[in-house]
Amino acid sequence: MFIVDCDCHNYWCSATVLEPYMEGLFKDMFVRGERTGPRGAFPHGHRPWFHPEGFARHDVNPVEEDDNYLIMKAKHLDKYDIDVAILTGDEPIEASTLANPYYANALCKAYNDYLIDYWLPKDDRFWGSIVVAPQDPHLAAAEIRRLGGHPRIVQVLVSHGAARPYGDPFYHPIYEACAEMGLPFAMHLGGQGGINSTPIGAGPSTFFWETHAILPQTAMTHMASLIANGVFEKWPSLKVVVIECGVAWVPSVLWRLDANYKALRKETPWLKRLPSEYFKDHFRFSTQPLEQPENIQHLWAALEAMDGENTLMFASDYPHWDYDDVNKLHVPPAWREKIFGLNALDVYTRLPRPAAQAAE
Amino acid sequence: MTTKHFACKADEVPQDAAKIVTVSNMPIGVFRLEDGFHALLNICPHKGAALCEGPVCGTTRQTDSTEFVYDRAGEIVRCAWHGWEFDIRSGEFLVDPSVKTRRFDVSVEGSDLYVHI
Repeated sequence: MFIVDCDCHNYWCSATVLEPYMEGLFKDMFVRGERTGPRGAFPHGHRPWFHPEGFARHDVNPVEEDDNYLIMKAKHLDKYDIDVAILTGDEPIEASTLANPYYANALCKAYNDYLIDYWLPKDDRFWGSIVVAPQDPHLAAAEIRRLGGHPRIVQVLVSHGAARPYGDPFYHPIYEACAEMGLPFAMHLGGQGGINSTPIGAGPSTFFWETHAILPQTAMTHMASLIANGVFEKWPSLKVVVIECGVAWVPSVLWRLDANYKALRKETPWLKRLPSEYFKDHFRFSTQPLEQPENIQHLWAALEAMDGENTLMFASDYPHWDYDDVNKLHVPPAWREKIFGLNALDVYTRLPRPAAQAAE
Repeated sequence: MTTKHFACKADEVPQDAAKIVTVSNMPIGVFRLEDGFHALLNICPHKGAALCEGPVCGTTRQTDSTEFVYDRAGEIVRCAWHGWEFDIRSGEFLVDPSVKTRRFDVSVEGSDLYVHI
C-alpha cells in the first residue's frame, strides 16, 4: 500500500543547528540572548503545562545530530515501508509564540533553510513544510514567496495556537501567498504560550493530559473562522490541513455551523454554500491521534459524517508519545488506500503519483 | 382544484407584519407587499414553528466581498423561532430553495380578502 505520513517530525538534538543559517542581530540574539532553557533550546514563549515525561518516545534517543535521521529511518520509514514522509519540524512552529515578529520570522527562515539544506537531500521519501510566523502575516507571506517554489516543499505550516482565529482578515496575506504558490496552509497542534494566550477557553486547565485532550478546541475556532470569513471564496483553490487536532469532533461542529448559518447567513453575505460544503472541499484532517472508543462503530459513524473517506489523511506523529502505528490504525477497510496515501496526493500536488496510479 | 375562502378584510393586513388567520383549519399568514397581497402557511418546514409571526424585513444580498448590501426590504419573513429567512412571494427558504412553506393565491373583492386553497 502506498503510504504518505503527513506528520513526521524531523527532530534536532540542539537548535544550535540553526546558527549557520542566521546572521546579524538575530544571530546575536539567538547565540547570546535569553532563551527558554539551556543553550540549544529554541526560543519560544512556553506554555503553562509541562509534559510529565517529555514528548519523544523513550526508545528514540539520538546522541549526534545525524542519529535523528538514522533512527527515524530504522524505526519508522523502513520499518513501516513509508513511501512519503511530510516533514513537519518540531520546535520551529513555536516561533508563533514570540512577541517580536521580526525575530520569529528570522528563526523560521533559518529553520526553512536548514530543512532544505540538511533534511530534504537525505532521503527521497522526504518532502518539506516551510514554517512561518503568522504574527506578522506580511513577513510570513514574503517567506512563502521566497521558498514556496522549491520543488520539494509541499505546504506552509503554523502552530494551531494563535493570537486570533485564522480566518481573521489580518491573516489573509498568508492565504494570498499560499494560493499564489499553490501550497496548502497547515496548522499543527502547538504554540500554546507567549502571545498565543488563549489556547483553552475559560482559562488554563490544570494537568497536561487533561489539556492535551481538549486542545482541539482551538482548531474548532480556526475551522469556523476560516469558513465564516470567506477565505475559500477569496481563494477557491486553497486547502487547509489540520494536523494532530483530533477528528471525531468535526461533525458536531459542522452541524452547529450549518444550523446557525441557515438562520443568520445575512451576517456573512459573501458565503455561497453551507459551512459543511466548504469543509468538504477545503479541509483535510490528519488522523493522529485517532480517537479510540470502546466501540469502533461509534468512531466510524463520526468519520462517515465528516466524509472521512475523502477528508482524512494518515499521520504517524513520529516520534511523539502519542504515535499512531501504521498497522493499528482503525479506519474502515474500504477507505484505507485513500486515507493512507491517495487523499494526500490531491492535497500535496507536487508529490509524484505512485507508478500504479500514474499508469491509470 | 382550489377553492376560494374568505380570510379577512384587506385593510386588516398591516404593512410590516403578517395578518394571521385560520382558513379551513389551516394557520395562514397574509402579507401586504408593494405588488399586492401574499399568503403563506404559518408552519415552518424546519420545526413547525409559527413562521409568519416572525419579523418582515430585508436581508443582505450575496456579495463577493465584505460589503453589506441590504436588499429586498419588506420581502422576507424570518421564522419566529429559528430565524430562517423565507421569500414571502414564493415561500422558499433563502439558503435552500428546495425547502419551502406552502403559498396560496390571494384575491381581493371589494374590501374582502380571499385565499385560494
